[in-house]
Amino acid sequence: MSEVQTVENMVSITIDGVDYKAKEGEYILNAARANDIFIPAICYLTRCSPTLACRLCLVEADGKQVYSCNAKVKEGMEITVSTPDILAERRAMMEVYDVNHPLQCGVCDQSGECELQNYTLELGVDSQSYTIQDTKREATNWSSVLHYDPGLCIVCERCTTVCKDMIGDAAIKTTKRGGEALDKAWKDEMPKDAYAMWNKLQKSVIAPSNGTEHTNCSDCGECVAVCPVGALVSRDFVYTSNAWDLKKIPATCAHCSSGCQIYYETKPASIEDRTEKIFRVTNEWNYVSLCGAGRFGYDFENRTATKDATTFAAAVKAFKKAKVINFNSVITNEEALMLQTLKEKLGVKLINREARAFQRFLGFYSEASGQSLYSLDFKEVMATDFVMSVGSSLRNDNPNARYAFNNVQKLNKGAGLYFHPVGDTLVPTFGKNIEMFAHKVGHEEAALLFIIKLFADQDKLPSSVKEQLDSDFVELLGGDTAKFEKSFEKMMKKKESFSLMVGEDLYFHEKAENLAKLIAVLEASSEVKVAMIPPKTNSLGVALICDLDDEAEGYTIGYNESGDFKLSALGDGDLDMPAMNQQEGTLTNMHKRVTPTNAALEYNGYVLNDIVREVASAPKETIMWTEHLPVSKGFKAVEFDSLPNHYTNDGVEHRGYLLESTSVEVEEISVDKFDDSNALEGEIAYRCNPQRQFNDFSDKAHQIFEGFGLYTSPAKAEALSSKVEVEFANGKLTLDVIVDERMEGDIVAIPDFKSAENIYELFAGSRYQTVTIKEV
Amino acid sequence: MSLEQFKNRNVGTQNYKTLDLDHTPVTGMGQFKQVVSRTFKPELFVGLWVTFREMINALFRGKMHTTQYPFEKLPISPRYRAIHDMLRLLESGHYRCIGCGLCEKICISNCITMDTQYDENQRKEVSEYTINFGRCIFCGYCAEVCPELAIVHGPRYETASEQRASFSLFEDMLTPIDQLNLQQEYQGFGAISPNADENIKKTPLAY
Amino acid sequence: MDATHLPEVTAAGVIIKAVLILAVIAAIAGFGTYIERKILAFMQRRYGPQHVGPYGLLQLVADGIKLFTKEDIIPQHANKIIFAVAPVITAATAFIALAAVPVFPDFTIPFIDVYVPSIASDINIGILFVLGMMAAGLYGPLLAGMAQANKWGIIGSARTAIQFLSYEVVTGLSILAPIMMVGSLSFVDFNDYQADGTWLVVYQPVAFILFLIAGFAETNRTPFDLLEHEAEIISGYVTEYSGMRWGLFFIGEYANMITIGVIASVVFLGGYNDFWIFPGWLMIIGKIAFSFFFMLWVRAAWPHVRPDQLMWLCWKVLMPLAVVNVVITGIVIMLVQ
Repeated sequence: MSEVQTVENMVSITIDGVDYKAKEGEYILNAARANDIFIPAICYLTRCSPTLACRLCLVEADGKQVYSCNAKVKEGMEITVSTPDILAERRAMMEVYDVNHPLQCGVCDQSGECELQNYTLELGVDSQSYTIQDTKREATNWSSVLHYDPGLCIVCERCTTVCKDMIGDAAIKTTKRGGEALDKAWKDEMPKDAYAMWNKLQKSVIAPSNGTEHTNCSDCGECVAVCPVGALVSRDFVYTSNAWDLKKIPATCAHCSSGCQIYYETKPASIEDRTEKIFRVTNEWNYVSLCGAGRFGYDFENRTATKDATTFAAAVKAFKKAKVINFNSVITNEEALMLQTLKEKLGVKLINREARAFQRFLGFYSEASGQSLYSLDFKEVMATDFVMSVGSSLRNDNPNARYAFNNVQKLNKGAGLYFHPVGDTLVPTFGKNIEMFAHKVGHEEAALLFIIKLFADQDKLPSSVKEQLDSDFVELLGGDTAKFEKSFEKMMKKKESFSLMVGEDLYFHEKAENLAKLIAVLEASSEVKVAMIPPKTNSLGVALICDLDDEAEGYTIGYNESGDFKLSALGDGDLDMPAMNQQEGTLTNMHKRVTPTNAALEYNGYVLNDIVREVASAPKETIMWTEHLPVSKGFKAVEFDSLPNHYTNDGVEHRGYLLESTSVEVEEISVDKFDDSNALEGEIAYRCNPQRQFNDFSDKAHQIFEGFGLYTSPAKAEALSSKVEVEFANGKLTLDVIVDERMEGDIVAIPDFKSAENIYELFAGSRYQTVTIKEV
Repeated sequence: MSLEQFKNRNVGTQNYKTLDLDHTPVTGMGQFKQVVSRTFKPELFVGLWVTFREMINALFRGKMHTTQYPFEKLPISPRYRAIHDMLRLLESGHYRCIGCGLCEKICISNCITMDTQYDENQRKEVSEYTINFGRCIFCGYCAEVCPELAIVHGPRYETASEQRASFSLFEDMLTPIDQLNLQQEYQGFGAISPNADENIKKTPLAY
Repeated sequence: MDATHLPEVTAAGVIIKAVLILAVIAAIAGFGTYIERKILAFMQRRYGPQHVGPYGLLQLVADGIKLFTKEDIIPQHANKIIFAVAPVITAATAFIALAAVPVFPDFTIPFIDVYVPSIASDINIGILFVLGMMAAGLYGPLLAGMAQANKWGIIGSARTAIQFLSYEVVTGLSILAPIMMVGSLSFVDFNDYQADGTWLVVYQPVAFILFLIAGFAETNRTPFDLLEHEAEIISGYVTEYSGMRWGLFFIGEYANMITIGVIASVVFLGGYNDFWIFPGWLMIIGKIAFSFFFMLWVRAAWPHVRPDQLMWLCWKVLMPLAVVNVVITGIVIMLVQ
């Protein structure tokens, strides 16, 4: 990690005669980029493994030609970026890329942001020496969002690389093009690398890896982002706008707690309608990867809002008599602080279920460990080589956690343990050294104890833990002991750093306190560091800022939640509020980072700050609250406008600031005894959203198609009819059955993204619930 | 061209001819002489003769100078920059515009707007296109930048309208399909230079 | 023609003559605008008005309709009575002056046997009367300019007063010499004096030129159209006038042009005497028409002068010349007798 740069692991290198420092073990290309030296490269992606498809990054290191994306720096290495030979190679490669590339730059969606164009100009290609007969390649739609035009594709394989190394879907691969064979005569005429590159290029094209015409993936669109040419475009965006017409608004994605850096790209909607519309979302794909919700779920803005004085007066009146404010985590830190101020001044109670659960869990953890926040952020998780996950449906809960789990396997030659009651067919495919435990619901403590048993230094363990470690956890968690011992030995080879990701299951667990203590014990007694996945967008921020209540009664104001008076950014409430793409403020993401977001679209109505100013007191603008965020909880007294929002070439994130974590000495921890009879039996429902769905806002976006229904594994679906009634202890739901091909086992998933369905009430403070499923 | 001639700002000494004018008389006698000489010079009659001659020219020698504007129009240069025309391909009759958006981008008065979409032939289709002639300054950049010579300046220079903002749609400017045979190739700003062929470097083709 | 053979001038004849003058001159004034626009256009190789009616002849009807139907605007701070009266003064004096001028030869209406004289009123001080009425016409622009509460109007009327009064002197002095020769102030006597075919311009070329110059000034024509010099003072004394009130000034100006033309024709250019094969009535119409044309011609050819040049010309050149001319004429007459 760049944050942990120290003098010891830096080496000195010389690039074109100038001395530079580089991190030991880094690729030459990355070292050059970090020092602002330009080496041409098309196929390389910073956080993925080298593809070696383009070969443009050829440099001379210590007198030998090497590929800078693949060669690591050594102390005293002398690098020359361009020699006449290398320049000839590069020029030949660019000429080869230009062979038969359609001259339709005028209409291409890359519209000038094209790396093929840039490098063609950069390397001064003004004539073509090579030629081959073209192959007919038809444009196809790979999925509901992906559009692929193989005619434009230069087969740099960035898409396949990012899909495999970062996303983990590995949904696309290179396949046979069926083109003319290369004339052997070229071999003697052309530079060597250029010929090899061409030979490969002429044979391949990208296609879905499942052999069909359609990808079966999470539709994250990261392949679209990394495509250097206009071959991969989102279906909705095809031929609708030139890149230069779009205004980039740096923002933070507000769908989940990843808080990814995004740009909303806006321009007037059409000739008739000159209001700004978001045409697409882009990201700094070298440093951050989005999920489908972030990339395609952008049009959730509240268009209906107007400044209606009477409804505003009604809202002020409602706030004055309110006893409770019910809200969720899709809220900025500033708004959370406003609500906390209202609590302090008016004595209202604040209800936020998911943030409260997380707050309690974090509290228990802090109490036991002495640390105000969890140890790792997810960028640091990505740098470890042994990663574990407990209590989170990795594929659905948080894309960044999943990407981290995958990336560790691919890039760090890592290993992983995945504990979750709901089986998953995707996670084991992330790498060869992954063991999955589909344990019983209620056995989360056993999972943690198992991890303690595997990694902890027995001498450091408190007695209350030590005495529980004798049982055969592998068996208990549903694995094969003998097989596991063998594979675990393999997994542990050359492993240096260990991380554990814990998720929402634990926060809503009835033994949450005990689980938090076990995590603290694990951290205190082993090298394993823990990262927590906040359940929803800004749950961490809300948990830190607000003093949340468990129960409350009386006149309720709902903010994007149900209530007697409803504030809503969805346009269906009593008073309109701005949606996240219409407001500025900060969000606290799971990387323990406070990141700024900006308003991409105009908003014509009232904001929460207006109400707070009427009923209590507030500054003129919402963002003036930023500097008042509680310093005691790790926030900094920084003005909103001075928050940075960018990445530098060496991959260092300059977005907002990191929360300060404080630690104190604690006494020995005493944990409860694990009772394996607590396991839930029978038909079990799991509160879990499908991929790309997180809340009402992602649901509102027109490119997010995942519906509200009962998600089951294919096997389970066969036992059910297409529509079922799910009966809870305190209510029932009628749902369509939707097959999630990557689920395994009998547990069914019920999404909670529709706040109107009151799923949290049905699950009654837990993430798992026994239900009765009846056919309708 | 060197900058020397631009740096010489003493324009007065360059190509101007000074008239050989008499000095204004200062003495009474001089003034009297000037009056007499001017009075008896037939200059006044020269003026009368010139106007009379022109009348004769106009009436009887067919040298009437007037162009009866709304009924008669003078031919204008192909380089004249008037209301835009959208040209079609002569071969297929399809409009030439590919929707690249360069005219929209280069337009310095921001008067061009277009909407594009993906059509059923997998091509970029211009679904709507407008020029606000209330804002257009007829600079000709759009025609110059157009890679297809699809948007060009036509000869229609009557731009008066009832409103300050006067929007023209794509269809208004497009060559009517039945008049395709009358479509003139544009010669003005941005047209292909006569020696364009010499400047082309040919790309080898395998077939 | 011998005066003694003329039939009796009846009241009916005078009234018919008066109506005739009023109608014809007013019409000609309108028609004059058409002619002016056409002539100026031709001299600039243009067509002039040509779209209203054949050859644009109905342009003057269109203009008339426009003038009549325009809103009658009187400025808020104007002296409304004087503002309303001023254009009438101009038009009225112009037509009154025509009363003592022989316009068209005399004729007898057949069947009813009414003799229409060439002059509505052949008073024996005809020239004095005409010059006097034209001088009285000064009140029109003067009052108009002063009544309209507009600084351009004031400047215009001041210029009017200066220009008219100054050139009145030249007109009077220049025409004094012919009067001395003829010995009468009656236009008829002037006409008869030249009945032998020798025009007075032959004897009095200087007087003729002076009279022409002064005539241009009196009728506010280029090169002396400083009263409404639009580049300097908007429109001078008619700045605030519009519609028919402005039209009256216009008609007055054109009537004056005709008057000057008539005087020049009768006093200097042989009047309505027959000439060679041309009858007298054709001659007078031809002469008036030419003098009208000449005014337009001059307008097309010459630029106008500055106000100071105008005054300088009047008092330092024309007036002394006129006086000298009168003196020389007197001496010559004395010597001949």
